[in-house]
Amino acid sequence: MADLLQPLADGVMLGATYSLLGLGFTLIFGVLRRLNLAFGPTVLVGIYAGSLWHWARPGSLWPVAALTVAGAVLAGLYVERCSFSALARQAPVVSMISSFAVSMQLQELVTLVAPSRTMPYPAPDWLPTIELGPILLRSDGLLMWGGATLLTVALFLLLYRTRFGVAIRALTDSREGAALMGVNVTAVGAAAFLIASAAGGAAGILIAASQQQVTPYFGLWATVKGLTAMLLGGAGSLMGAVVGGLILGVVETEALSHWGGQWRDLTAYALLFIVAAARARAAGGGARG
Amino acid sequence: MSDYTVSLVIRVGIEAFVALSAYLLLLAGRISFGQQGFFALGAYAAGIATALWGAPLALGVGIGALAGAAAGALFAAPMARARGLYFAAGTLAFGELVRVALLTFEYRLPIGPDLVGPAGADGFRGIRALFTSGVSMEVYGAGIWVLLAAVVAGLIALLRSRWGEAARMLGDDEDAAAALGVRAARVAAGTIVAAGALAGLGGGLFAHYATYVEPGHADVMLGVHSLAYGLLGGLGTPLGPILGVALDIGVLESFRFLAGYRMIIFGGLVAVFLIARPRGIFDERMVRRLARAVSPKQP
Repeated sequence: MADLLQPLADGVMLGATYSLLGLGFTLIFGVLRRLNLAFGPTVLVGIYAGSLWHWARPGSLWPVAALTVAGAVLAGLYVERCSFSALARQAPVVSMISSFAVSMQLQELVTLVAPSRTMPYPAPDWLPTIELGPILLRSDGLLMWGGATLLTVALFLLLYRTRFGVAIRALTDSREGAALMGVNVTAVGAAAFLIASAAGGAAGILIAASQQQVTPYFGLWATVKGLTAMLLGGAGSLMGAVVGGLILGVVETEALSHWGGQWRDLTAYALLFIVAAARARAAGGGARG
Repeated sequence: MSDYTVSLVIRVGIEAFVALSAYLLLLAGRISFGQQGFFALGAYAAGIATALWGAPLALGVGIGALAGAAAGALFAAPMARARGLYFAAGTLAFGELVRVALLTFEYRLPIGPDLVGPAGADGFRGIRALFTSGVSMEVYGAGIWVLLAAVVAGLIALLRSRWGEAARMLGDDEDAAAALGVRAARVAAGTIVAAGALAGLGGGLFAHYATYVEPGHADVMLGVHSLAYGLLGGLGTPLGPILGVALDIGVLESFRFLAGYRMIIFGGLVAVFLIARPRGIFDERMVRRLARAVSPKQP
């Protein structure tokens, strides 16, 4: 029983950060009806910004965290300008290709400025490890779970309890309808994009801190996690993205603990492939995204 | 020609096959980030055929193309109807699946004194059919370009056929095409298989040029580059993607001072093109204008 429950607990704790990545992905997709494949690399830029600070003057965590979010927002702004607002009149898939091209730039940028390929990232040392009967909740897992859950709740409060949140959700419902109701769709769309990037940056802090290091591969990795969480949750539903992230986290850690390391990635990609095929079928091939 | 020029010409030729495979899908309205998967499967299959089973070079390369086509058929079974972001996500997952699967794939046979064959993350060394059959690099390069010319001629004929027309209708508006009686799923599946064969063919040629393949050759950057080549060079003619390859490998890679900034320049180039000239240098209008300039009598 314990060898089933332990990975389940680990998976939920890891999956909470996938949920946060999925939420960022869903926010952009919901508002713009476009896929931002540079989402992971935007977060990567933020993590490297924080990591560079930590490398130059190790010590306090807060400036590292603040720089991580700021870097992600800045990179998000660049992606939004290049791949989304400049291409607003073209088909949605054009933005998707453009965002991948821009993500190549971001990935090369971090390797150019970083003094080494693997960069250190600080973690808080005051977190406990909790034992619940046979299950061990490690401190890095608790950090991911606690931080991601807090941020998810904050994001939901923003989206469901503020006027701004109403405007964003109106936009995801119907762009035209929202515009007729007096919502400034371009401004709200851009703002939602930046909020999503900030949420991605926050997820990046948690993931990087739990691994205590980061490599340029993080960019595509985070994109794939967020995309899978979003598609698992129904491509557009905010709550769905949260659930999708948890499912992905649990499936990955169960595969890891029962079959070994390589199966973890294999299962994750197989899951993405299966949901993409299933979603395409559900949309009757009709969704042009 | 110097060795360096020969290797440049060969690499442009090989990459052109993958670029054409992404281009073919793009014409049918499908964006693939996963052609590197078909490329790697073709490379492994061709290498196994010659190095392990003793097949002659040409047969081995053919087996690479067949493997790409077979993988395309497997991929198309659940994905033929998918389009837009679902197709793109499916191809991305497929490409990464191939890469991760090759990391664990082991199949080695004793050849002479050594164990030869794919060895997981260590890759697959000793694909030496090119040298054992006494083909020089110059001859191999010429062969690649003759093959490429034949493929381009075939593609031009194909795109003028009913089937090519149907594929392009899918690219313009799939619902309208289906309403007009185009069997969308069947045309899409055929395009996916053909694109898989092209990428697999490129893989088979690459394996014998490099004598070594590894899971890293299924990196997503290859797929994204292949997609971008068509968007840079132009979607109006199969020559467009080849021009894109030549620009990237011939120009960007040859300037040493650009090293380290290559992705930044290439990515920026793609982003700017998508804004300013979304169908590339040789887009449909440009191709029509050129055709008129060459033979003014045509309407």
